[in-house]
Amino acid sequence: MDQAIAQLLQRLESEAYVADPAIATSLHLSLVLQKPLLIEGNAGVGKTEIAKVLTRVLDTDLIRLQCYEGLDASSALYEWNYARQLLHIRMQEASGTSAREEEARIFSEEFLLQRPLLKAIRHPHKPAVLLIDEIDRSDEEFEAFLLEVLSDFQVSVPELGTLTAEHKPHVILTSNRSRELSDALRRRCLYLWIDYPSFEKELSIVRRKVPFASEELAVQVVALVQHLRKLKLAKVPGVSETLDWVAALVALHAARLDATLVEQTLGCVLKDEADLRKLKADLAGGRVPLTGRAA
Amino acid sequence: MELDLVARVVLLSRTLRSRGFLAGTGHSIDAVRAVREVPIGDRALFYLALRTVLVSRPEERAPFDQAFTEVFSLPGEGPLRSPEPPAQNPQQLSVASWLLQGDAEVEDGEEEIRGASVETSLAEQDFKTFDADQLEEIERIAARIARRLALRRGRRWKPARRGARIDLRRTVRRSLATGEPLELCFRDRKPRKTRLVALCDVSGSMDLYSRFLLQFLYALQGSVARVESFVFATELSRVTEVLRLRPWAHALRGLPGRGFSGGTRIGECLERFRDEFSSMLDHRTVLVVLSDGWDTGEPAALSAVMEDLRGRCRHVVWLNPLLGSPGYEPTAAGMQAALPHVSVFAPAHNLSSLRALERHLLL
Repeated sequence: MDQAIAQLLQRLESEAYVADPAIATSLHLSLVLQKPLLIEGNAGVGKTEIAKVLTRVLDTDLIRLQCYEGLDASSALYEWNYARQLLHIRMQEASGTSAREEEARIFSEEFLLQRPLLKAIRHPHKPAVLLIDEIDRSDEEFEAFLLEVLSDFQVSVPELGTLTAEHKPHVILTSNRSRELSDALRRRCLYLWIDYPSFEKELSIVRRKVPFASEELAVQVVALVQHLRKLKLAKVPGVSETLDWVAALVALHAARLDATLVEQTLGCVLKDEADLRKLKADLAGGRVPLTGRAA
Repeated sequence: MELDLVARVVLLSRTLRSRGFLAGTGHSIDAVRAVREVPIGDRALFYLALRTVLVSRPEERAPFDQAFTEVFSLPGEGPLRSPEPPAQNPQQLSVASWLLQGDAEVEDGEEEIRGASVETSLAEQDFKTFDADQLEEIERIAARIARRLALRRGRRWKPARRGARIDLRRTVRRSLATGEPLELCFRDRKPRKTRLVALCDVSGSMDLYSRFLLQFLYALQGSVARVESFVFATELSRVTEVLRLRPWAHALRGLPGRGFSGGTRIGECLERFRDEFSSMLDHRTVLVVLSDGWDTGEPAALSAVMEDLRGRCRHVVWLNPLLGSPGYEPTAAGMQAALPHVSVFAPAHNLSSLRALERHLLL
């Protein structure tokens, strides 16, 4: 048991995910305590990625529920396949089966559309990873409903009875904090906050994900992105922007970064017009560090 | 596990609860189970395990570090009695040095451990002590409310080309023409069109707050068209267009002069609003008045106009920054006159009161 966290850390690394002890500890506790893990942090720090990597480590399926305003139980849990039911009724009209038989037939599992939550609960053989992505985008009513599902992992369908989890899924929730989540939900979850990575961590992510980049280029880009994050930008670049940028520079056969290259490829990393203008002015004024030294 | 360690983990979660953390006594069991999962003597992982279980909000991280250091630096028997914090965490080092200055007196089992708590964090800080560069969070909250105003869906359904649900009733009805349910009809939720009309008091007595409240309106205005803003002191001016200007410095220049020494004529200003702009109000409009209620006019007039306005809109929300001060009673004559006609009377002096506002404005 003592080594479990270190082992998990290693397995995350071997799945090409640069983790740290905080991430490994939270994942491990979430698995052994069987509690959902709520991950918060700015956009682009790799929250969703954690669920994907965990899925590979556990060698299971990832079931993803993308939240949005207006998401309701029927699109998250289950729905009857009305179109198929109607079609079936028409087909059977001539066959003379009784109405009662017919009803039992069209309200059987065959006509049930399983949505992500039910799919995760009914996942066969071993627990699935259930990713509830951007929970802050759903509305409060849905959150309350979700709490209920997460507390007993069973669903009752009036026509079918209660469907219980064979294997309770491992639940990961992510939030960008566009709205405050309820205290009840927070209490139920373990909590992990992910910051933008440090210079060293981001550099090792770049090395891992874009192995063809020259060391000098990688160091320069990471140092520059770290510098950008300190400016007051409208849209702060995440790790995926760093990776896009390095990949773009590699495609241009760049071995090192200079002011002209930065100006040409800045669109990979800054996605806001005012930010772009500000940085171009900084570039012209020589206020952008290109030496690659970590600030 | 050492008994002392269990006792300390429990003490930590009780301490956190007394400081306003979400996690608390109920989480003690999980906390004890969690520390069993880490190698004995690995203080860094021990800390991370407890943090994972006991912290549930970003604002709780710093106060957690403090409480952790306090509880696990107490003299006593047990494997963790070293007062040194884990070396990995520079933040804790500074906490430890603060501790060594002798500001914490703790007894086992007591919940009164002094120190910074979540309550004294940014969320609770009174706007009158705010710096101009602490505005980011105000903008975040405003953007959030604005987004929800724009997107919130009501409970009623309406027919739609493609929607969340199949409208079985219409499907069946249409199928009568052909005898077959050839075409599926859908239904979807109607957007709920709430509109805000905000009247912000910018007289001298409100000076410490109006700057932030205006900033709040500015951010609200930026994202949705359904916000109308006015400022008033001795006169009423409509500032909807001005607050649409970007950036803030530009908008600020366009605002009428503030801080009139002559005091506030709330009643008169509201009357002017009613006479000229009451067409803005309907049953979907929330009228928000941001004022401390210090009126130099006639209370009876204020009362009459408030009653009138209340009948023309969905709700009247009165936000009074003074309501956040301990011991404040709304005794000002103006406030007394207006109160009977107000549906929600709430403070607006710090970030958490603005956050709570989300609920009132989306009624």
